[in-house]
Amino acid sequence: MTEDEIIKLLQQADKTAGGIAPVRVNITAIRRRAGRRNMVILVAPLAAAALIMVALSISALMFRTAEPTREQEKIALLETQIKQLQARTDAALGLIQEVLEEERRKSRLDELQAQLASIPDPLEEVQNQIDKTAFILVYQADRLYRELNQTDSAVENYNRVIELFPENRWAKVARQRLSEIQNKKNLIKQI
Amino acid sequence: MAEIIDDELLIEQFRRGDESAFERIIERYSADVAALANRLLGWPGEVEDVTQEIFLAAFLGLKKFRCECSLKSWLFTITINKCRTNRYKRWLRLRRFSKEFDKVGLPSACEEHVIDADQSSRVRRAVSELPAKYREPVVLRYLQELGTDEISRILGISKNTLHVRLSRARKRLEPELAGLIER
Repeated sequence: MTEDEIIKLLQQADKTAGGIAPVRVNITAIRRRAGRRNMVILVAPLAAAALIMVALSISALMFRTAEPTREQEKIALLETQIKQLQARTDAALGLIQEVLEEERRKSRLDELQAQLASIPDPLEEVQNQIDKTAFILVYQADRLYRELNQTDSAVENYNRVIELFPENRWAKVARQRLSEIQNKKNLIKQI
Repeated sequence: MAEIIDDELLIEQFRRGDESAFERIIERYSADVAALANRLLGWPGEVEDVTQEIFLAAFLGLKKFRCECSLKSWLFTITINKCRTNRYKRWLRLRRFSKEFDKVGLPSACEEHVIDADQSSRVRRAVSELPAKYREPVVLRYLQELGTDEISRILGISKNTLHVRLSRARKRLEPELAGLIER
């Protein structure tokens, strides 16, 4: 089948379909519809913008006006109160810490004082030692004089006690003993 | 050439706000536009609504028309687009109807028999049943008798593509039309 045959058939069929009814294009209707479309094209963005504005206004009214302001004031007040409470709490905590520190220091002081109290007085200790030494010298001198009958050595020890510890009570004893020995010697001389 | 100059003058007049220029454009091209619409839509005969739609689109778009092609080609492009839309809408309507027919159970061969009664109507039906990408070149080339340059510009395809489509359209039409030649 050739192209020409097909074209011929097509054109015959087109002719036999008959002419179309005379077309009457209504320019008035076209103008009216075009005007409407132009109006829509102009108005649609404006309407959309207006809608957006209304939506924004509503949202602004809902979230940013009277009630929210009151809420914000309440929140601000609460924040101030919280800050004040926080300051008070901080002050109280500081005071508590100071008290605790003072108590800790006091207990440490007591502890140190107790330790100090437990340490013996060195002067007293020295005095005790002096007393002890003087006693030993007097005791030895007594033994020399009474048990071993070594009067000279005993006199020497008593004199040493008097010489070394003149204020001690055993110096007094030593003086008594020397006095006794002297009295005894005097008595023997008289006899 | 004179026609093109006249068209440009009319367009310029319309752009300056003289709407009577558009009336002259309608007078000049409404018949051609209607004929093309009639052929693209499958020869329904009544194409006034579609033509009205085409000229409405032209009225709205004429101020933006850049005269890169002739006014006639531009109007034909609009015609093709509007006819595609129209056929699609019609197809949607028919699909809904056919579903209802299927439910009722009417024999579809009945309609075919009535259409096939006329030889010419068989040819028109064969063209009408071609896919749009084959039908449009066939109508523009063989019935509107436009040049390949103009057709390729209107359809927005290359000349090679146009020739391929025409060739394939003929191959698709051959089995339908072969019997008619014999008679």
